[in-house]
Amino acid sequence: MAVEVVKKNYLFGGGWKSWTPVFLLLPGFGLYLLIAFGPSLATAGYSLTDATGVRGAPVNWIGFDNYDEFLFRGLASRDNIAALNRTLIFSFLVTTVQFSLGLGLALLLNQRLKGRTFFRTLFFLPVILGVVIQGLMWKLFLLPNGGPVSEVFGLFGIQSEFLGGQPSEAFLWVIVVQIWANVGITMVIFLAGMQTIDEDLYEAARIDGAGGWNLFRNITWPQLTPAINTNFLLNIIGSLQAWQLFLVLIGYKNGTQVLGYEIFAQGFGQTGGVSAAFRQGFAAAASIVLFVLVLVLGLSANWFVNRREKKYLG
Amino acid sequence: MTAPTIEKETPVIHEPSKPFPWLKVISYVILVVVAILYIAPLFMLVNASFKSLAEFFKDPISPVSDLNFENYTNAWERANFSRYMVNSVIYAAVATAVFVITSVFVAFPIARGLVKGSGALLTLYVVALFLPPALIPQFQLILNLGVYNTRLGYIMLFVVNPIGMIILVNYIKSIPRELDESAAMDGCGYFRFVWSVVLPLIRPAVATVTVLHAIGIWNELILPTIYLTNAELYPITRGLIVFEGQYGSDWPGLAAAVLMLMLPMLFLFILMQRYIIGGLTAGAVKG
Repeated sequence: MAVEVVKKNYLFGGGWKSWTPVFLLLPGFGLYLLIAFGPSLATAGYSLTDATGVRGAPVNWIGFDNYDEFLFRGLASRDNIAALNRTLIFSFLVTTVQFSLGLGLALLLNQRLKGRTFFRTLFFLPVILGVVIQGLMWKLFLLPNGGPVSEVFGLFGIQSEFLGGQPSEAFLWVIVVQIWANVGITMVIFLAGMQTIDEDLYEAARIDGAGGWNLFRNITWPQLTPAINTNFLLNIIGSLQAWQLFLVLIGYKNGTQVLGYEIFAQGFGQTGGVSAAFRQGFAAAASIVLFVLVLVLGLSANWFVNRREKKYLG
Repeated sequence: MTAPTIEKETPVIHEPSKPFPWLKVISYVILVVVAILYIAPLFMLVNASFKSLAEFFKDPISPVSDLNFENYTNAWERANFSRYMVNSVIYAAVATAVFVITSVFVAFPIARGLVKGSGALLTLYVVALFLPPALIPQFQLILNLGVYNTRLGYIMLFVVNPIGMIILVNYIKSIPRELDESAAMDGCGYFRFVWSVVLPLIRPAVATVTVLHAIGIWNELILPTIYLTNAELYPITRGLIVFEGQYGSDWPGLAAAVLMLMLPMLFLFILMQRYIIGGLTAGAVKG
């Protein structure tokens, strides 16, 4: 694409001067193509090769062999399909719980309550702390011997190894931490949406004798449509791609891996073997599998929210 | 006999009685319960960071009896944290500065439609949010440019941010075009106009993208794991994970280290909360 100045919109001189915006745009745009956009597209190309992590090593074209291996070949492919299913389960649970909890908290904090700013800040805080702090904080909080959660569970006679326990148990705790860490962003998006709703709508409905549930169903829920759409899509896409808390909380552990972690582990030799190779081509193929999953579910969700939007907002 | 007379002398005033605010009470109860889930891990962390190892293993959750700052000084010295902190600051500051300065000159012409295909250019940034992760080809790029395991290579990874670009473009659209016209009339050049007129006007958006971008770099764990093998170059997140690997059972030391990583972000968040939340929700609630 040739980047060129649109003359009629440009007011800062003719001749060579009219090229100034293009010259000044090129560094930023060039870096973007080089570092983000180009590599993103190149993932598809690399997925058809046997690229490794060694500089200068020969890279061979091997067609769809990586996909064949990832999805269909032997025992390892069965683990990969399990990781794919686990990604879907993770995404489903995180999306539904985080969406509902975020909506609930936003409804509570949208009232005139003392201390609402404090609560909002507190629930949002983990979002800016990042996975390392989120993860280490919860590792400590979930200490199996004498930790706070362990003690509280003990009162009810529940014994648990938490993150060090059975894979399914550890997996469940990662879901808890994932939701704990990210519900704040869902909440603030809902709150911002609620603040755009005209207070007069509620007043008029109250005069007509509408109560709490009716107000929510007939005013808040339809009027909140843009925020609902955003949160729904962000939660689905975000949870499909999330995996870093697994790394901090439990590491690469059989029976817990999700696709995102598999990509990183295969591509950068983090599968736990002593001299695990960098299987970059293979990891690129796994990236494309995840991308297709995100695309299919993201587009379905988008179709769903658009249909809903038409119903409510015409 | 006395009681009725007293009642007559001081009649009970019937105020229009308000119903008991059940809804608010229930709201508070729920909020406090959730708040405990957020405060307790933090409290546990602070509490543990002041304990000696022996004290911690005897009872990890009892309130600390005397404040013990040794864990902080130990982590700072033993784990090379001063070095990591300096690295993190360098990476976040340099990459964010490059990103913001180059991006303003991309965002302005796109927002104004100054270059052909402005719409298509913006689309290239929007679709980035859905494209496959760039992880693998990016690694091959850095490797083949020969900047693997260098500061330069690491910083390069962070000089772009599509979401930040979209925030800038949307904000610039709200700046009136008449401003361009009067500036051009006064003979102001393009560079000087964007740099000394537009940039100050879009300060809120610049603040938002600066803070969001810097936080992202500060918290990044995966890229330093992939690209930096020289411990002298580690940012603090990577240093912390290495520290965890070496002294995994030294929870008091680890807690002190985690808090040191957290404090700068905490200050930044409290100062800039408005911009952070504003930036993250901008565009999310419009139709």
